[in-house]
Amino acid sequence: MSQEYSDSVDLVNAGTVAYLSGAVLIAALTAVLAQFSIDLPGGVPFSFQPFGVFFAGVLLGPIWGGFSMLLYLLVGIAGAPVFSNGTAGVGIVLGPTGGFLISYVFAAAAIGLVAHRSLDPVGVDDLPAVGVTAGLVVGSAIIYAIGVPWFAEVQGWTLPRAAGFMAPFAVGDAVKIAITVGIVAGGNELLERP
Amino acid sequence: MLTYTPGETLAHRLDPRGKLAVQFGFAIAVFAGPAVPWLPAMLALAVGCLLLAGLSVWRALRAYWVVLVVLSLGPVLGAVTIGPPWIQPERGLDSLRSVARVVPVLFVSAAFVHSTPVRETRAAIQRTVPGRFGQLLGVGVALTFRFIPVVREDLRRIREAVLARGGERRPLRDRAGRITTLALARSMARADRLSVALQARCFAWNPTLPRLSFAPVDYAVLALAAGLALSPLLWL
Repeated sequence: MSQEYSDSVDLVNAGTVAYLSGAVLIAALTAVLAQFSIDLPGGVPFSFQPFGVFFAGVLLGPIWGGFSMLLYLLVGIAGAPVFSNGTAGVGIVLGPTGGFLISYVFAAAAIGLVAHRSLDPVGVDDLPAVGVTAGLVVGSAIIYAIGVPWFAEVQGWTLPRAAGFMAPFAVGDAVKIAITVGIVAGGNELLERP
Repeated sequence: MLTYTPGETLAHRLDPRGKLAVQFGFAIAVFAGPAVPWLPAMLALAVGCLLLAGLSVWRALRAYWVVLVVLSLGPVLGAVTIGPPWIQPERGLDSLRSVARVVPVLFVSAAFVHSTPVRETRAAIQRTVPGRFGQLLGVGVALTFRFIPVVREDLRRIREAVLARGGERRPLRDRAGRITTLALARSMARADRLSVALQARCFAWNPTLPRLSFAPVDYAVLALAAGLALSPLLWL
């Protein structure tokens, strides 16, 4: 036999497998939600993009939530059309909206840290509404704190001009924070995991 | 939509690690170098990368048209001021010099996306990032890629079910909350099944990876990446 086999199989422990699986599915959901919107009266699209980041932090906690968003970013860099409008590649990450994409990793970690107040996540039904709201506000602030200066730099604009351009999106994000808190606050039997 | 397309071009035959390195080296070179005459040279190199991957400039432009529209807003809105003198051309030019750097980077990433299957990138990540973190990233990227169509189909079904029950007449908050909760619940159920399936298949830290090997041309590609990454030293 020319093929060599290692002496033993080093199994990944059950907890890590469970969190990895969660991170994978939330990354896939973020990719799908980035392409998804519903039309408001007047034809204004209501984008679902930030929900993936919010849920990564709230459901998976700081470490695995951040890991999940890193997976989303890498899958896009690897060529899967997962960024807005079905785009992919390093060029998008280094483009005008790339700061927002990179910020997702930090935002998900911050949301998880504030909502769970620990590196180890607790069950969704144990999360207080105040903690989740605070986490989502901090996470959104991080998204804008990284995304807007990046946008200004790539576009060659001043920071106030870029902030003015992005301000209308913050209104939609406030609605999305309220929806997310409504879904998870006080527990949601659909989201409880065994 | 720009995705991997099988082919026999030189770019398709290169090792993914070299190609990833060139992308990052290229980005450093473009963003750290001067606008003239460096940027036109970088654009020519980027077009060369597209041609090596068998991709036309037109297709790359079409794939990234939304980004290009956003980029083109830069010089237009950058030059406008609220109040006299209303238009400041030099500010528009500053913006143009800035946004023009993104275009060649988009071209090089289009060449990579067109010529590299995701499974090769996964292997490159897993071989390059050390330790268990690299293992988890590699497996995670492969699994995420696999689950995107599944989750997309779940979301389509949820949307149709909500519409079939008159969901479009519900208030926005109720409608968005309903769709998101159901999509999340289905995804978490799939995560639980995936976790069981991985453990049933002895998911291990020491699996057998796909083979990657460097040919002589890959070393040339790596040297190009290093040269590009170090090019900012020219402008010191």
